[in-house]
Amino acid sequence: LNGPGELTLTSIVLFTLGAYGVAAGAASGEQSVVAVGVFAFVLFVVGIIWPIVALSGVEVDAWAPADAIVGESNDLHVRLYGRAPRVEIRVLDPPGQWWVTAAPADGVIPHLANRRGVFRSVRIELRTSAPLGVFVRSRIIRVDLPVEIAVAPRPAQAAPRLYDYPGNGLATTASALHQRAGDTVRAVRPYIAGDAARLVHWPTSARLGSLVVREHEPPATLGVALIVDLNGDRDVVEDIASLAAGIGRATLAAGGALWCCTSEVGGPVSAPVADMRELGRRLARARDGEPGVPPEGWPVETVRP
Amino acid sequence: VKTWERGSPWRVVAVPVALALGAVGTIAASRSGYSLVLGGLAGATAALLGVFALPSLSTRRVVVLLLGVGGLGALRHASFAGADTSSLLVCWAAATLVALLLVDRAGAEQMSPLPHGSPLPSRTGEVVRMSVTMMVIAAVVIVVLGPTITDHLGRHVWPGVDPSFGDAVNAPASLRASSELDMNTRPGVSDRVVFTVSAARGEFWRGETFDQWDTHSWTQSQPDLTPLVRDGNKVAVTPNADDVGALQGQTLQQTFHMEAPFSNVVFAAPSPVEIESDKVLEQRADGTVSAFAGFGRGSTYTVTSRSSLPTPAILRASDAQPIPNSVKVQYAERPETTERVQILAREVTARAPTTYDKILAIEAWMHTHLKYSINAPLAPRNADVVDDFLFRTRVGWCEQVASSLVVMARQVGIPARLATGFVPGRRDGLTGQFVVRERDAHAWAEIYFPGVGWQPFDPTASVPLAGDAGTSGSWLQWARHHALEFGLLAAVLVLGAIGAPEVAAARRRRSEHRRSSWAARNLHRLERIGTRAGRPRAPAETPREYAAALAAFLHDERLRTVGDTLDADGFSASGTSASARADADAVLMSLGP
Repeated sequence: LNGPGELTLTSIVLFTLGAYGVAAGAASGEQSVVAVGVFAFVLFVVGIIWPIVALSGVEVDAWAPADAIVGESNDLHVRLYGRAPRVEIRVLDPPGQWWVTAAPADGVIPHLANRRGVFRSVRIELRTSAPLGVFVRSRIIRVDLPVEIAVAPRPAQAAPRLYDYPGNGLATTASALHQRAGDTVRAVRPYIAGDAARLVHWPTSARLGSLVVREHEPPATLGVALIVDLNGDRDVVEDIASLAAGIGRATLAAGGALWCCTSEVGGPVSAPVADMRELGRRLARARDGEPGVPPEGWPVETVRP
Repeated sequence: VKTWERGSPWRVVAVPVALALGAVGTIAASRSGYSLVLGGLAGATAALLGVFALPSLSTRRVVVLLLGVGGLGALRHASFAGADTSSLLVCWAAATLVALLLVDRAGAEQMSPLPHGSPLPSRTGEVVRMSVTMMVIAAVVIVVLGPTITDHLGRHVWPGVDPSFGDAVNAPASLRASSELDMNTRPGVSDRVVFTVSAARGEFWRGETFDQWDTHSWTQSQPDLTPLVRDGNKVAVTPNADDVGALQGQTLQQTFHMEAPFSNVVFAAPSPVEIESDKVLEQRADGTVSAFAGFGRGSTYTVTSRSSLPTPAILRASDAQPIPNSVKVQYAERPETTERVQILAREVTARAPTTYDKILAIEAWMHTHLKYSINAPLAPRNADVVDDFLFRTRVGWCEQVASSLVVMARQVGIPARLATGFVPGRRDGLTGQFVVRERDAHAWAEIYFPGVGWQPFDPTASVPLAGDAGTSGSWLQWARHHALEFGLLAAVLVLGAIGAPEVAAARRRRSEHRRSSWAARNLHRLERIGTRAGRPRAPAETPREYAAALAAFLHDERLRTVGDTLDADGFSASGTSASARADADAVLMSLGP
């Protein structure tokens, strides 16, 4: 009975007792022995039917945060419907630890994300042998997630790639503006209502007799267009995805702008990346195929097997 | 956690396992003749050692194997121990059930509980509920199937073990056919089971009758044996022509399972008319039967007997009919005895109007003036045993009592004879079988009533007249006869065990559901959707703000409307329309539970 479950040592013992009791009791005419044999058979049969019936009424719902990283544990929230005094549950892909609860129940299963990708469903295995341990009934349920999980590659150690590029206003992250804005004053101009007081250039204002404010040099535009080419051997490809994640993370952390060119199910994608979460989702979706083309003038870094 | 350490779920398993194996040990001891207490203690000790002293083995496996081996041992012994162990078998079954429940539960308790999940039901509650449920289910199935299985699979005939010469020599006198009954021999009184009987009602299991009395022993006037012609395993027994009950009475089927190593007496309720057996059988003129080579342990034979089922009224009315001459000649002639015994018989029965009343009068006199004791002194050689018993010792056992009754009855012209065999024995409550032991060997008087036949009488045994005896014995039969009540009781017990917690939980859920408003429920739902998506609600966010934030996060503008509806329903005086609620419900439903 590999499909629906498996019989246990207890089942063998009860079946043997049942068969022996009925046979010996009938042969000797001892109804008490027959009764004990029937009793053992009843436990054997009920011990098989009970978990099947109990587990057939249990359904599972699951959801998880939308973002995950390979190699890290994520909390998969599960909800069990139906009535069962004892249900054991685990998440498959990869098979995790068994947990026990009573249904209905809400719970959280820590689950290791073991591979990159976008997952719209999870496989959950339920089992129970209650109440007698005669038969371990198990069910594997594929649960559709209300929000897909994007499992990003685990970022490898990498240095940021900060190159000058023409700048088109895309490097709008606060960190980038702060870090590269500097204090270089390009000019002064008359004060306009609404200008910040800290921008008033007091020496010039005193000399001219009217308020003037500083105008700073625009921030330097540094960043990289990352071309992620995942055509190649599967294991190597995952290393490349990890390297791309490492480069992207380091670049963003250093205040640089990041443009990511990948291939997804729908075809080549070339788009800017604002933060780590977006980078993770892009790389989670990335697959083999022709990566997108970076914008003109951007410094390009290609990672490929 | 080691099995014996505090907090280990396996510790409690040891208790029912010890009980189960204790019961097995007791059964084995009863079979082997050892002390029951020692047997029980040995079984329990073996169980405790198995559970606690084998840490290198899986406790679950050890427990299950112990229960299995113990169960096989219990069934093995119970199959041959004469079924007097059914209460111990019930104990074993109950303890085994509880042990299995606890074993599975202990396995679950060793696993990690689901974080934030529902705790398991209490161990005691679960075990009690499941035990009751399983027991009831098992009882129903046993009631329905048990007798049917026995009827269909049960062997009515089985050769058993061929008895050896030593078995025959060492067999107690009560199991050996003989044409003479020596009154100066004390009967065996051991507890050893000699046979069990499956029958609808208890009767004297008669082996032989004696009609000639010579003051110190009984003999048979017609001891010749006639081989019975068999038709397969069946042989027809020709009843005595004067035994009206054997010719016209109601039938009673009995199946005898021999536990003793030897018996060549074919015991049967009076009077056997058909016997199923694989042995060569021989019949005497009085209708009793013996087996030529004897039965050995495990032999099974089935007898169909026929007898009248009289009541006192029928017996009193029988005096209106004449006693057949052949009966008078053989059984009503005055046997040799002393004059004072004759006088006593006449005096005791003087006021009794009918034969039945005369017998009752003699029994009443005996009850008043005589005492029963298996340790009574033997009568001196050549002394009239009846006279010695009635006038000197006044203490005796069944043979003296029954002989006195027969002799006194014959003194007043009542046809009587001495019958030997066994009393019905103790009826097993579970199976309804009669368990007959060596100490149940008995002698009683049979009195002839015209139109009725031979009827047993014995002041030392409380066996009712067949017409007054009930036929239902075991609780299995009782349950079958009261199927409706039994079914209802079983259903109530199962519903009580399983349904009560469910009903209580359902009522609690309904009550909680009623208390929460639509807005509160759906705000909770919205929060769940947001949490799942990775955007939980901030503590300061209003439902409207949160819905708007989620709408942006999930790119689903419908959530803004949901937020408006929640706000209006929860906080505006006029509430919101049913259609708006339905729309919000639909949106939330589309996003998951």
